Amino acid sequence: MTWLTWRQARAQLLVASVALAALAVYLVSLGGSIRRFYDERIAGCEGQACYLARWDLRAGFDDGVSVAMVLLLAVPGLIGVFWGAPLVAQELEQRTERLVWNQSITRRRWLAVKLLVVGLCGAAMSGLFSLLLTWSVSRYDQVVGGRFAALGFASRNLVPIGYALFAFVLGSVIGMVLRRTLPAMAVTLVVFAAVQLLVPTAVRQHLVPAVTTTVAVDAAVLNSGVGMRLNEDDTFDLQGYVAEGSWSLDFSAPLSKADGSSYTGEDAKPCLLPEDMAAGDACVVAQDLHFEYTHQPADRYWTFQWIELSMFVGLALVLAGFGFLWIRRL
Amino acid sequence: MTVAIRTTALTKRYGRHLALDDCTLAIPQGRIVGLVGPNGAGKSTLLGLMSGMVAPTSGSIEVLGRRPAAGAEQLSRVGFVAQDAPVYGRLTVAEHLVLGARLNPRWDDAFAVRRTRERGLDPGKKAGSLSGGQRAQLALTIAAAKRGELLVLDEPVAALDPLARRAFLRDLLDFVDELGVSVVLSSHLLGDVEQVCDHLVVLAGGRTELAGDVADLLGVHHRITRRPGEDLQLPAGAEVIHAETSGGESVMIVRSAQEPARSEPVDLEDVTLAYLTRATTAVPAAVTGAVR
Repeated sequence: MTWLTWRQARAQLLVASVALAALAVYLVSLGGSIRRFYDERIAGCEGQACYLARWDLRAGFDDGVSVAMVLLLAVPGLIGVFWGAPLVAQELEQRTERLVWNQSITRRRWLAVKLLVVGLCGAAMSGLFSLLLTWSVSRYDQVVGGRFAALGFASRNLVPIGYALFAFVLGSVIGMVLRRTLPAMAVTLVVFAAVQLLVPTAVRQHLVPAVTTTVAVDAAVLNSGVGMRLNEDDTFDLQGYVAEGSWSLDFSAPLSKADGSSYTGEDAKPCLLPEDMAAGDACVVAQDLHFEYTHQPADRYWTFQWIELSMFVGLALVLAGFGFLWIRRL
Repeated sequence: MTVAIRTTALTKRYGRHLALDDCTLAIPQGRIVGLVGPNGAGKSTLLGLMSGMVAPTSGSIEVLGRRPAAGAEQLSRVGFVAQDAPVYGRLTVAEHLVLGARLNPRWDDAFAVRRTRERGLDPGKKAGSLSGGQRAQLALTIAAAKRGELLVLDEPVAALDPLARRAFLRDLLDFVDELGVSVVLSSHLLGDVEQVCDHLVVLAGGRTELAGDVADLLGVHHRITRRPGEDLQLPAGAEVIHAETSGGESVMIVRSAQEPARSEPVDLEDVTLAYLTRATTAVPAAVTGAVR
């Protein structure tokens, strides 16, 4: 059965391998350029030059990195649509299942081998691409930060493997149920896209209970690019604070004074010194303010990678289980 | 008598459509069974049930003593060629033989290679570019080289021209002899299976109208011609299957273990047509009244 599966998938695996090889060449050269830039301008830099170099790195490589990222995000979808959906649907459509299911092999075994061989190839391709990309842009990631950003998280390290497996089995099962290749491809695309939108926006942050810490407003906080917003009820919110490498779950948080009461417009008036920013900041710091910071800490990055990988592999297994039940009814 | 296929009140429903209705059969081993009936009679459904491609709605079916497609072992004992002889268009003839060899434990490669050569199938040719007849030969070769105990062929000659039909069936007889398998083949034309089968099952509207060994069927059916005004004496237990009146003369096909007076022998076509006609139209009351 492995032979037949290999024979049927040969052409598509070859095309995918060629595409992956081309991507590898691109990613290795991109990685080389980023590294050279980093070594020349960022390693050991100081002060303003450092700030400028970081800015130039982003400006210079944003497009190249984005293209690779979007491609990697698309790969599981492509595997689901072009490998998964036709896997069984095409056999049913061309009625060849009546030939192969009458050889001395049970339908379940047939399905198991097909899912395993093609699915593992898909997972391997996705994993290899992710490995290359993660290596290639590691210096860029180091400078830019934000490893929990939706697109960045989904296109690095382990999770692309889970997405590929899930998309592939999803496509296969949808094809099995719909029995027609084209509708199965369309439905697979829609369902997979919906899952890929839903997970980063509504699911991922709840996978591990968030941590809330009390952060004191000091000079470092004020210099990290945050803003203070006066609300209609005369209280202040602190907006845009992100602790190094962590995943901030609330964009703004109410500011409180040392006694726990809200920081109001009245309280802020003495520190309104538009002609001397530094003095104004020092004044705010002296007021001993704090706020609650709800986030996922930076050291949970790998926890999230593993959880999400397991979640998608688990979903793939559940779907495959459904497929094994369903194939008896065909 | 060893039973190759036994069905008990076998029923298959597709939504509201009743494809096979309460079918009870016992087909002995070692026969070439012709399954005949008009289009939509339920032939493909019954064959699908035998191969395990279709699951029954109710009732039961046993093929060679086990539930069809119950496992790899059972699958290896039954060769099935579905209607239109499905093959993989992008695989070559030779690759189909590799497929058969890889997926069947008792694969007879020498037989398969010899047969494809004899049938003029180019091993390097893609199956998608074969003619209908060649595709049927390829599918049959794969099913036969499995070396199962039963071959189930759904309309194997439907795609062939009349000349190729004869050749295909003659060839089928030859290798059935060589392999020693039982065969079930279906057709909507009696003429196709008549020349080869020694057991007949007639289906109409999802129901079994007639089933039995050809010799037995010919033995218990009789044709009687009754001229106007003649008296008719039928033996006890005789049943008029079909009667046709033209110009005052009625021709009847009668089922009776005992041979009625003035009866003539029937051929398989008479019998089959009689049952199929009875299945679609009620026997005229006047005739039955006159006889009974």
